[in-house]
Amino acid sequence: MSDTMRQSIDLLIESTREVFVMMVGRELHFGMPIEGEALRPKSNVVATVSFAGSDSGVVVFYSTLAAANEIAGALLGMSPADVNGEMPDAIGEISNMIAGAFRTKMTEAGHPWVISIPTVTVGSDFYTKYVSDVRRILCPFQMDDQEVFVELILTKS
Amino acid sequence: MRFLVVDDSSTMRRIIINTLNKLGHSDVIEAANGREGIDKAGGGPVDVIITDWNMPEVSGVDFVRTIRAQEKTAKTPVLMVTTNAAKDDIVEALRAGVNNYVVKPFTPDTMKEKIEALLAG
Repeated sequence: MSDTMRQSIDLLIESTREVFVMMVGRELHFGMPIEGEALRPKSNVVATVSFAGSDSGVVVFYSTLAAANEIAGALLGMSPADVNGEMPDAIGEISNMIAGAFRTKMTEAGHPWVISIPTVTVGSDFYTKYVSDVRRILCPFQMDDQEVFVELILTKS
Repeated sequence: MRFLVVDDSSTMRRIIINTLNKLGHSDVIEAANGREGIDKAGGGPVDVIITDWNMPEVSGVDFVRTIRAQEKTAKTPVLMVTTNAAKDDIVEALRAGVNNYVVKPFTPDTMKEKIEALLAG
C-alpha cells in the first residue's frame, strides 16, 4: 500500500470513528483493512458518497438492517425498534458526515476534493459494482456486537 | 428564545432540535429549505437562526445573504452547521453574514459553546 493510500485510509478511519463518537455515541473498534474484492460485507444497507478533485472515487458505508436501525435510533434519540422510514435518511446523513470529515482532512493534507450528496440502497439481494478500474480498501469496524464497514474506492489514475 | 432551524434534511433538523432541547431550548421552528427559511425568518420573531449550507434552490449562504438584506432579520444571529470546513468555505460563510460556524460532526457541548458565543456577541 502506498504512503498516500495509507494516509487516506488512516484519515477515513479517524473520520468514521469521530462521527460515531460525536453523533451516535458509540465507540468503534477497528479491525484490519482489507484490500481488493475478496471480502464483500454482509449488508442490507449501502450508502455511497462520491468525491472528485485531485483524486476521484467513492466512500461506501455498509451495515446490516439491525445495525442501521440502531445507528438511526441513536442519531435521532429514539429506540431502534421505533425506527422506520427515518433509517435511510439517517444513514445517508452519517455517510455524508463521514465523507465530509474525510474530505476536510484530505484537503488539509493537500488533496482538495468536492463530494456528492449521499445515495442509500436498502435491500437483500443486490451487490455494488464500479465500472471503472478501481482500487478498493475495506475497513471493518465493530460497534458493540454489530459489524459495520467503510470502504474507500479510488479510481486508478 | 425562539430558534429557527433551516435544513433540507429532516434527519439533521431532528438532530439539531434534539440538541437544542437538551440544552434547554424548546421554542424551535423549522424550515425544510432556504426559501421557506426566508419566509419564516421574516414572518415572526426569531432570536437565533441555525442553517445548513448545502440545500437545493437556495443555498445556506444565499439564504443568509437574503435575510441580511432585509431590515427585520439584518442583525439576527446566524449559526451555520455544515460539513464544509475548509478555510475558504468558512471565510465565504462569514462574508455572507454568518456569525458563527459548527462543523459536522459536533457534540452538544460544541453547539452550546457556539450558541453562547453568538448570544454574547
